[in-house]
Amino acid sequence: MKKTVRLRVNGLEQEVSVATHHTLLDVLRREFKLHSVREGCGIGMCGACTVLVEGKPVSSCLLLAALAAEKDVVTVEALGRQGLHPIQQAFVDHTAFQCSFCTPGFLLTTKALLEENPAPTPEQVKAYLAGNLCRCGSYMKIMDAVLDAARRLQPANANAT
Amino acid sequence: MRVFFGMRDIDILEPRSVEEAVAALAQHGDEAKVIAGGTALVLMLKNQLVSPAYLISLGRVPGLDGVTYGAGVGLRLGALASIRQAETSAVVRQHCPTLAETFGKVANVRVRHAATVGGNVSEADYASDPPCVLVALRARAVALSPRGRREIPLTEFFRDFYETALAADELLTEIVVPEQPAGARQSYLKFVTRSSEDRPCIGACAWIDLDEAGVCRELRVTLGAVAGKPQEFAEAEALAAGQRLGPDLIGQVAQYYAEHIDPLSDARGSAWYRRRMAAVFVRRAIEQALGAGGEV
Repeated sequence: MKKTVRLRVNGLEQEVSVATHHTLLDVLRREFKLHSVREGCGIGMCGACTVLVEGKPVSSCLLLAALAAEKDVVTVEALGRQGLHPIQQAFVDHTAFQCSFCTPGFLLTTKALLEENPAPTPEQVKAYLAGNLCRCGSYMKIMDAVLDAARRLQPANANAT
Repeated sequence: MRVFFGMRDIDILEPRSVEEAVAALAQHGDEAKVIAGGTALVLMLKNQLVSPAYLISLGRVPGLDGVTYGAGVGLRLGALASIRQAETSAVVRQHCPTLAETFGKVANVRVRHAATVGGNVSEADYASDPPCVLVALRARAVALSPRGRREIPLTEFFRDFYETALAADELLTEIVVPEQPAGARQSYLKFVTRSSEDRPCIGACAWIDLDEAGVCRELRVTLGAVAGKPQEFAEAEALAAGQRLGPDLIGQVAQYYAEHIDPLSDARGSAWYRRRMAAVFVRRAIEQALGAGGEV
């Protein structure tokens, strides 16, 4: 069954016809061509399909597209519109990836983390990012990048970055 | 994984009030599934474990996401409060820190943001953390149907794997965690055998009410993830009443649980292993509860 829904993705509203059983992940990739949103496990475990819905990280593979109507959906494409976002720059500076399949999910989860908790401890970073898997094993560098991004985003450091 | 949801067409209904939701459920009953966060149900749909004709989404139903505390009532967790809300709620942390921590142990932060308290309880997943703690706290589920409102003690709510006491036309609207006695302290230990964000191999909750002299008035121990529903053995708990909880007595209770559970085998541990770990984690949960919530 098809349903016409109004989705708001990266600030742009668009009416799309979606099958009721399609996930937001399917629709973001097929209709919106947002290929930063990736299917890893398909069961909410790996974090590769992370998007922000109303500012909160969720697994787009577990969210029916029809039920995301009229909510603010953000993918990593919206982060770097005016040059790299400080979190992205920190990931680049620390080479916090190898194949980069997991990177968009890590970036968005980090963004949500730093909005909730601007100065997390390494333990808090681990707890928040525990559900994002990097099969290349770049965790140490990701940790460095997240902590560095937190420093860069502190208001006192805004001019320094 | 491009597994789609079988051939059946699903219609999504989006009631705008609790009354509309109850009416929709009454009308479609067995043909419908209620969906909130969807983290469990979408998985079941993908794997064709359920194939409803209707999904009744609670996403537009207002007023069911409160997390409040009332003196004499206890904590009231709206069915649509997210697991994350319950985990980070100041009133849950203040009045029942163990419960807040338990919600914080569910899956990962994405699932906790999307999944709801009501969804977690009504799914009745055997390998989920909150049910066994909520049973130990003697929480109650509030259910609405055209026949009215009823409260179901969680000790009777969980029936078996994914089976609850909810009738087909009943909507879970709230979980009430009653005020706990002043001397009560709890612990919840989640034992995982794979990665940190995995479901538990064993979840052990100990709830202990001590008098001023440190003598146990009442002990409750619930074990999650070992069987179809949280396991509790009154005979073992009774051993502790009126006693000081020393190593021998704690060991006896732990041994009773290990011997009397009928453990399942799954990817997180065999029945043999679960039985042995049950003895360890019942003991540790009691020890930890004794060390928490005031001097002993």
